[in-house]
Amino acid sequence: MSQFQVSIDIGGTFTDCVVSDGARLAVVKAPSTPPAFEQGFMDALGLAARAFGCDLDDFLARTQRIVHGTTVATNALVEGRAGRVGLICTAGHPDVLTLREAPRKRAFDWRLDYPKPFVPRSRTFEVRGRIDARGNEIAPLAEDDVRAAVDHFKRCPVDAIAVCLLWSVADPAHERRVGEIVRDLWPSVPVTLSHALNPIPREYRRTIASAIDASLHGIVPAYLGRLENAVRDAGFAGTLLVANCQGGMMTVGEIAARPIHAVMSGPTLAPIAALALSDEPDIVVIDMGGTTFDVSAIRARSLIRTTEAPIVNDLLGLPKIDVRSVGAGGGSIAWVDSGGLLRVGPVSAGADPGPAAYGRGGTRPTVTDANLVLGLLDPAYFLGGRLPLDAQAAHRAVATVADALGLEVAEAAYAIHVTSNENMIAAIEDITVNEGIDPRESFLVAGGGATACHIGEMARALGIARFMVPGVAAGLSAFGGLVTDIRGEETATLHTSDRHFALDAVNPTLASLRERAEHFLERAGVPVAERRYEYAFQARYKYQSWEIEAVFEPGDGGLGAGDVPALSAAFHDMHERIHTIREDDGEVEFTTWTVRAIGTGSAIEAGPAATQAGGRLPERGTREVYLGEERAFRALPAYDGNAPAAGAEVAGPALIDSDTTTILLLAGQRARTDAHGNFHIFPDENG
Amino acid sequence: MAETQERFDPLLMAVLSRRLEAIIREMSNTVMRASRSAVITNARDMSCGILTYDHRLICVEEAMPIHVSALELTTRPITELFDDVKEGDAFFNNSPYHGVTHHADMTLCVPVFAQGEPLFWVLSRSHHADVGAPEPTTYLPYAATLYQEGVHFPCVRIQEGREDKADIVRIGLQKIRAPHVWYGDYRAQVGACRIGERRLKALVEHYGADTIRAFVEAWMDYGARRAAAAIRELPAGTWRYTCSHDPIPGVAEDGIPITAAVTIEPEEGVITVDLRDNPDCVPGGVNLSEACAAGSCRIGVFYNLDPTIPHNDGSASRIRVLLRDGCVVGRPTFPAGTSVATTNVNDRLINAVQCCFAQIGAPHGLAEGGGNMSAGLGVVSGIDDRDGAPVPYVNQFCTGLSGGPGTHGHDGWLTYEAPDGGGVLVLASIEIDEAQYPVLMEERRIACDTMGAGRWNGAPATQGAYRSLTGPASVFYCSDGDVNPAQGVLGGRAGAPSLNRKREAGGGFRTLPSFHEERLAEGEAIHYRTVAGGGYGDPLERDPAAVADDVSRGWLSIERALNVYRVALVRAANGIDIVVDEERTRLLRAWA
Repeated sequence: MSQFQVSIDIGGTFTDCVVSDGARLAVVKAPSTPPAFEQGFMDALGLAARAFGCDLDDFLARTQRIVHGTTVATNALVEGRAGRVGLICTAGHPDVLTLREAPRKRAFDWRLDYPKPFVPRSRTFEVRGRIDARGNEIAPLAEDDVRAAVDHFKRCPVDAIAVCLLWSVADPAHERRVGEIVRDLWPSVPVTLSHALNPIPREYRRTIASAIDASLHGIVPAYLGRLENAVRDAGFAGTLLVANCQGGMMTVGEIAARPIHAVMSGPTLAPIAALALSDEPDIVVIDMGGTTFDVSAIRARSLIRTTEAPIVNDLLGLPKIDVRSVGAGGGSIAWVDSGGLLRVGPVSAGADPGPAAYGRGGTRPTVTDANLVLGLLDPAYFLGGRLPLDAQAAHRAVATVADALGLEVAEAAYAIHVTSNENMIAAIEDITVNEGIDPRESFLVAGGGATACHIGEMARALGIARFMVPGVAAGLSAFGGLVTDIRGEETATLHTSDRHFALDAVNPTLASLRERAEHFLERAGVPVAERRYEYAFQARYKYQSWEIEAVFEPGDGGLGAGDVPALSAAFHDMHERIHTIREDDGEVEFTTWTVRAIGTGSAIEAGPAATQAGGRLPERGTREVYLGEERAFRALPAYDGNAPAAGAEVAGPALIDSDTTTILLLAGQRARTDAHGNFHIFPDENG
Repeated sequence: MAETQERFDPLLMAVLSRRLEAIIREMSNTVMRASRSAVITNARDMSCGILTYDHRLICVEEAMPIHVSALELTTRPITELFDDVKEGDAFFNNSPYHGVTHHADMTLCVPVFAQGEPLFWVLSRSHHADVGAPEPTTYLPYAATLYQEGVHFPCVRIQEGREDKADIVRIGLQKIRAPHVWYGDYRAQVGACRIGERRLKALVEHYGADTIRAFVEAWMDYGARRAAAAIRELPAGTWRYTCSHDPIPGVAEDGIPITAAVTIEPEEGVITVDLRDNPDCVPGGVNLSEACAAGSCRIGVFYNLDPTIPHNDGSASRIRVLLRDGCVVGRPTFPAGTSVATTNVNDRLINAVQCCFAQIGAPHGLAEGGGNMSAGLGVVSGIDDRDGAPVPYVNQFCTGLSGGPGTHGHDGWLTYEAPDGGGVLVLASIEIDEAQYPVLMEERRIACDTMGAGRWNGAPATQGAYRSLTGPASVFYCSDGDVNPAQGVLGGRAGAPSLNRKREAGGGFRTLPSFHEERLAEGEAIHYRTVAGGGYGDPLERDPAAVADDVSRGWLSIERALNVYRVALVRAANGIDIVVDEERTRLLRAWA
């Protein structure tokens, strides 16, 4: 009897489920069922069981591990449904969450409202006591202030308490004592201490992370509890793991204790999926949905982490996998501004009324409507024929923009299509060019059902020669959950410099981080043979204040004096790579040390499949498609891309239709399938 | 105009304009992250831009308005002074008489060649922490001439073949305090400009120089068209508004009144700003450079137009600026001092221009915003011996920002800082400042009862306190706003003025002069309060629920809510939250 590995990604519209039985993969989709998400979760499991021809009991009994990615934490924050937080802060500094680091705005725009703080000032309480940057106590903690704070928060009331004192990362004694007093006086209230959650300097980032974490204590654990109960009641006895925002998995207990790690837990699985699908070193990963376009990048086989991920009006404050969203999806609306420039988005037609082509009353042109006018979509075969499209309604909607631009309808549709491409290209450039990565040196993996008819042109505009449309494109993130590592991260702040490197402080710190990392993998049930550790530091030139991360290998006995030049050299190289300049005799300051704990035993062997010559794709006839390069409609051959044979090749210009996506191949592009049903597109040497 | 538009592919225009914005974003990111001075790397007092080789501004992104609104004046001297500009050159300029805003805004310009032909300038402008002036500060209100300002690089070639010219760099290394910090900041600008150059060359290679040239013309036309369309929606007429800079002892005993006259001609799609009816240059450092005077007229107008209009040479061409030689807000007469040209009088000028629009009546215009050069933005110097060997330091802290002006429909922006900055400065992290410099930031909070009251309030001031942890220190500031606060418009009230005080070792407070260097001894602290923004419209029309919110968040006292807004408030059952007493409020407002 085969065993199943399951991954489920719950989004706003659909719950995607990807299952492997070791021999084949299945992707199924069930509608999401907010607020009782466990219903959609169980529905998806039911569909998955059916796909493998067994009933749910049998299916669950044979399932070893379920990995779960969820938007429940993200949505609670976006929709303002997170818990009420009381914040304890250092006296003199009650406005950290209001002032932030000054919110970003457009320089010439004053017709806008200043964003409200995550925790209102009336739920913020100052306590006296002060530590300085070197960890010296300037003033002792006033414990009476803490007692007054608890009294205040009980009266408010609040659901959870966050504590963030200045320089608790240099000496956590005051913050720990505050935690003790709060627990003593109010044992039932959840408390987040900033130095324990997010030990970085920059008080706003540490405070906001603590406040967000506290606000999710009433939501994430309860949600996971309901989910776990539902699946246990149905007979599941294996391991339930939750994807975290750092691109790994955590146990339900781990993530319930630090619920901020559940924010963006689904989309961060997409780049992990891409790593498994391709052995390319530098990859750009894109995923176009109905309203947003998510993009991430992989550099030298490593996921990229950011410390500046935005969430609603704030930064998340915590490092996470750098997945960025822009308002550019199939439902984005096209319009013409007062200067006669075509714009697309960020406003979306959403699911209701949706694009005009859905025939639900929408009249404004969307990207999906434009794609239908262009012939890229087959109106009778959208979502495998389950949602017939109204071509005339799409034409009427696009005509409104065509009139304003003085273009033919097809030209206008193409303008919408290409402007949408440009919005997505800008997002791709934002995560590549802005970070010093040349997109032309990257490989591209395209997830999401709507992406494949845009990707050929975007790749060409970016100068990306080769890219992949995976067979699991429509459930890319869920697939990531099948192949991800178990991953935890332990971080400590410790300032030192290459001019007087504090070996006697760094080595014990690294040893302690390593011990905590080992305990994490122990709790997650990772066998010793599958445990791996990654070391990294954050550093800067003296007087810089923005750090750059570099990785290093400390060796078995820890760092020796002879290792310091290598640490500095790793920093100089990374600085030159990102900023084009280096200062070899500049003093390097090290600020933060990290050990990443990795359990490598992934659920399935995905790996890039060898391609072979041979198979053919069935033909579906021809379709008239407007080609931008020719500025004219042309009949293109269409092929059936469902369950393709390995080694089949198609030369552009052509269309490849499957139940969940349509690929547009341009002239000069050639697609070849591999043994896993993925499409690899590359320049056509014969074309 | 329409003809060019028809010729150039509209979607390629969208593509290329976004591409250029991305290039500038990358340049700015490099400057911010690779620089050393707190004022650049923590507060983001820097900007980048791209111009055509014939000195027309194409694009700025997330820049400070005062840095970039007259950039053509900065690149023009290069082609006037050099007839051998070549690939690999870089030009360094901080001379207010060669088109730079003021001497601290050291600017690097790099020509971008494609196929042997010059096409663009990429430019990086950073506010350096020190400029080698007699005193360790970059703001010298008493420096009557350029000879008192420190080092000037009057548009010199600092790189050839993409390598530093050591002799030119040596001038800075000798003359500027904390030279390693200065050099690190300069190198960050080099990195940014070389990245910009590389990206633009690739762009021209990809699309061809002819396409790019055609794009530039179409893009300028687009900017002009957008600006003209916005101006056509405004009423015709001329409006005047006067603001006054505070008195400066020995420089301007009665203050400096600044008057802007704005004439709107909707039919022509043109706005004219006339500054000729203003005082002559004063014997101090607050005269404007031409770059500041011209740029600030555009800024005051653009603040009142649709913010999505591209701020390029095309849109600027719809704004006519009339300046006079020898005028405090015009073209200064060499060698008049302009050390403080970007802030003080300049902020009053932008306020005067933007408030002309409020004279049209609602919903137009803005109130006055707080200019801020209080000790919350002080330049602090001393000795750091926390890690053993004593290291001298000098840096400007941006620890407290001023409040923004109210406008129709919106309260002022809290982290506004000043009219010249567009609210794009970053508020420095207290922990980062304390880690890098031996200061203790004792307090930073929003100051209660400082907002300029209005139907839409000006944003409140910030108050704070700091002291040295390593013995004596010196603090320079030139705090305009201690006397003349930011006024409200259309019935809105003035915001609170700024305030600078010293807390002495015994705990007593002493109010400090406005334009001043204060020396701090052990145990003494600076207490500052920034300027609050002016209100827009009658405070009696403010939504009572918004007044209750202001009290809840500690921005307003219950007494002032009653006296100024005529809103009666009571505590909710939990004794913490504030709710409106609707009936009493109705009566109070009926009797007001």
